[in-house]
Amino acid sequence: MSPRLRSGQEHERWLVPLLVGPALAFILIGSLVPIAATVWEALHGHDLRLPWLGRPFIGLDNFIEAAGDPRFRAALVHTVVFATVTVPLEIGLGLALALVMQTATHGRSAVRVVALLPWAIPTVVAALVVRFMFEGLISPSFDWLVRPLAAWVPIGVADVWKTTPFVAILLLAGLQTIDPALHEAASIDGAGPGRRFLTITMPLLIPTLVVAAAFRILDALRLFDTVYVITAGGPGTATEPLSMYAFIALMQRLRFGYGSALSVTVFLLTFGFALVWVRTLGRSLVGDRV
Amino acid sequence: MSAARGLRVAAAIGLLGLLLVPIYWMVVSSLTPEARLFEAPHLVPRTVTFEHYRALFGERQFLVPIRNSFVVAALTTLLAVPVAASCAYAIARFRFRGRGLLLALILSVSMFPQISIVPPLFLVLRALGLLDTYPGLVLPYVTFSTPLAVWLLTGFFRQLPPDLEEAALLDGASRLRALVDVVLPLAAPGVATAAILTFLYCWNEFLFALSFTLGPERQTVPVAVTLFRGRYQVPWGQVLAATAVATIPVALLVAGFQRRIVAGLTSGASKG
Amino acid sequence: MRRPRQSVFACAVAATLAAGCGASGSATTLTFSGSALGPEAEVVNRQLARFAQQHPGVDVSLRITPDAADQRHQLYVQWLNARASEPDVLQLDVIWTAEFAGAGWIRPLEEHDADFVAAAWEAAHWRGTLFALPWFVDVGLLYWRTDLVESAPQSVVQLRDDAIRLGRGPTRFGLVWQGARYEGLVTVFLEHLAAFGGRILDAGGRVVVDEPAAIEALTFMRDALGSRGFVPPSVLAWQEEQTRFAFQNGDALFMRNWPYAWALLQDDAQSAVAGRFAVAPFPAAASGRPAAALGGAELAVNRWSRHPDLAEALARFLTAPEQMLERARVAAQLPARRALYDDPALAEALPIPLGQVRAALDAAVSRPVTPVYTELSEILQVELHRTLSGQAPPDIALHRAASEMRALLARSGLADESKRP
Repeated sequence: MSPRLRSGQEHERWLVPLLVGPALAFILIGSLVPIAATVWEALHGHDLRLPWLGRPFIGLDNFIEAAGDPRFRAALVHTVVFATVTVPLEIGLGLALALVMQTATHGRSAVRVVALLPWAIPTVVAALVVRFMFEGLISPSFDWLVRPLAAWVPIGVADVWKTTPFVAILLLAGLQTIDPALHEAASIDGAGPGRRFLTITMPLLIPTLVVAAAFRILDALRLFDTVYVITAGGPGTATEPLSMYAFIALMQRLRFGYGSALSVTVFLLTFGFALVWVRTLGRSLVGDRV
Repeated sequence: MSAARGLRVAAAIGLLGLLLVPIYWMVVSSLTPEARLFEAPHLVPRTVTFEHYRALFGERQFLVPIRNSFVVAALTTLLAVPVAASCAYAIARFRFRGRGLLLALILSVSMFPQISIVPPLFLVLRALGLLDTYPGLVLPYVTFSTPLAVWLLTGFFRQLPPDLEEAALLDGASRLRALVDVVLPLAAPGVATAAILTFLYCWNEFLFALSFTLGPERQTVPVAVTLFRGRYQVPWGQVLAATAVATIPVALLVAGFQRRIVAGLTSGASKG
Repeated sequence: MRRPRQSVFACAVAATLAAGCGASGSATTLTFSGSALGPEAEVVNRQLARFAQQHPGVDVSLRITPDAADQRHQLYVQWLNARASEPDVLQLDVIWTAEFAGAGWIRPLEEHDADFVAAAWEAAHWRGTLFALPWFVDVGLLYWRTDLVESAPQSVVQLRDDAIRLGRGPTRFGLVWQGARYEGLVTVFLEHLAAFGGRILDAGGRVVVDEPAAIEALTFMRDALGSRGFVPPSVLAWQEEQTRFAFQNGDALFMRNWPYAWALLQDDAQSAVAGRFAVAPFPAAASGRPAAALGGAELAVNRWSRHPDLAEALARFLTAPEQMLERARVAAQLPARRALYDDPALAEALPIPLGQVRAALDAAVSRPVTPVYTELSEILQVELHRTLSGQAPPDIALHRAASEMRALLARSGLADESKRP
């Protein structure tokens, strides 16, 4: 429903800067200026432990170092592979969960609470609980956390547990916008549930799926909390995602120049998706599309 | 038909039950004595002990991080929601140049990887002496929770029929007056949802809290829980008790406002 | 920095952390950060309280830090990098002083007296300025079984022969040392290095860890682990405690460890070798000298402390002879003051025979004093462990380590600055 403005009120547009100003200020000062500062910092050599070296401008040297840094390359691979594996899993499971939730005509509230709870609790809490489950009870003899590949399992489980219900809720809302009359008509025509799902549900659900997937991909690329708690990037650096390597470079090694370059890489990675997402979603809110 | 339906209901209950298993496990384990923590689990614990909770609020002084989280979340919400609401109202009700760009800008911020603004924020906060303080956390929190609130409230305001406002305006009230007298009461549900989501964001946030606080005096719950250290190994009993405690406010919010939360989150997603 | 409601919570928090807090209305509170392991807690709390007594209006609180050295290091780095004003006084590992001084995190101090163990005194300086006060020292010691060998080995050759001869008879192992991939391994290597006349850095600060003497030392270590050797390969996963257990159970003829083990080994209740061992510095080869790696702690003042003069006074107080003596008595830690070693009170207080300790101190050799020591050490640890576990020959490993270390020093602008060894 789009509001229609009376042309008479247009002269109160002086209100707009006032209303928009604070939010814009926070955005500018809180993130846009900092991101520019990070990019600028990434072009300098800045080691907080070696103050006598100053803060010289070194151009792209930090990025060149990163490109040749096996630990950076590994972190990049970890991040991308993690997103590639978990997101389809979460979307698929979320869809299944949503379809199942749809049948619950009674106890909708309870269903929603149960589905929201994993999403709402802090990521580190979810990760801690999953880690506890894996450390002792799930397999006392197989130490998941010291094996480079196996250590990804608890991380994946924690992530899937936490986000699948949220995806399900998003998809459920999408499912509920589908006119049941369409299904009725199709089943009268003799289409079975499977067929109906493929030809009616899925196409109408695609936009919601796209949005849900975008949310998830962005979060997966920014993976940090879960890994910090479960493996701290270990064993060695086998489960270290990009954000974690950037964090270590910054806050532990105090190499602010190099760490900033790593952060910029993470930013560039997510920016691609951000652009696409914003163009899809932003336009539908602001524009007059029905 | 009923057999298939019965199957689906059973599957629903089963899946949802599965979702709750870790939480149930966590609560049960937090009441289990340390020595028995890694034994085979029982569905209902045989021995129940409160030693972990006692230690948590005794030696560990867990009330301190809880206080910190509450203060930061409250301050952020009080700041972010009005800021976001005014901005959302302007976007929803006025047509101005750059409106689309503004919204895009605001939304894109929520997609920033937090790590990418840690370096300059750290240096600035350090220079201003704001590391390990409440304001030092509130600033980044407001910045990162505003976009979601704006998005939510913009959708909300757009769905609000403009008739009442326009009636007030016709009667000669200024835009500002209309805003306060007419829109605000109507906006209460949306604002409440935005407040809840903002609070949840602050309560759960980890990276900034980890980077910008230094010690137990100002650390928030997620950081405090993660940094629990025993002498030789992780004190799991206390950690799980802490996670259980950390879950309580969240669980209360979710149970109390689940309808609002879902409505808020899905209003944008289900469009287009 | 505004902290609402600070007074209520600060006292509650400080009360549990501190000895000696609780006097409401005190003007200043100093925070001291150090290790409080076992008997250390008792003596440090007592001494902090004594200082508070001598300075009316001053409270001193003890801030507890993790026991593991690298965790404490990380915490310090985080605090100091964030310019936290507390803790005011920090207990530093000897190998951290140059790093913190170089980064500008600790205050320079005036040299009031220089009566400290030479190697510790050196490690407390950076570019000629004093930055910390030596507090207690640790030296690497060779523990040897007095009931199985006549005297401490006078040379590495003798050590090896004794170990081989007896190491498969009365005891399972000949010699045990810390071979896990951590800082301890570097200290063990340091002693072998000095024994063969080698060094990590030369007097001009250049990396010389790939010279023939060093290669010889590492080859000796590696051969000792071999099939015809006298050191069990399991040491490659051992730190201090595991080696202590081996010696304590009578499984080893020789053990290389720190002084802390003495008291535990003398405990009849748990030790099988009580009263049947002694200590000496690690023996030399023909080309080198006996050596004992220097460890220990120093006290430094936080650059951003709000009470720098008071903090310095606290550091000087804790490093005064009386306090050091008390610490020796209660916590069995070796004081860092030279003169105390002539004091009969110390001989009484310390469980370890003073003569043996003195010999080790005379042979003390410190690790390179440079701000990038931690990274240098990590590079070395990796290559040492690779060689010892048979993955690389000594010369190649050391050459690799040396070139990486040179690159690190060059990158850090320290190529000519670092002091010996």
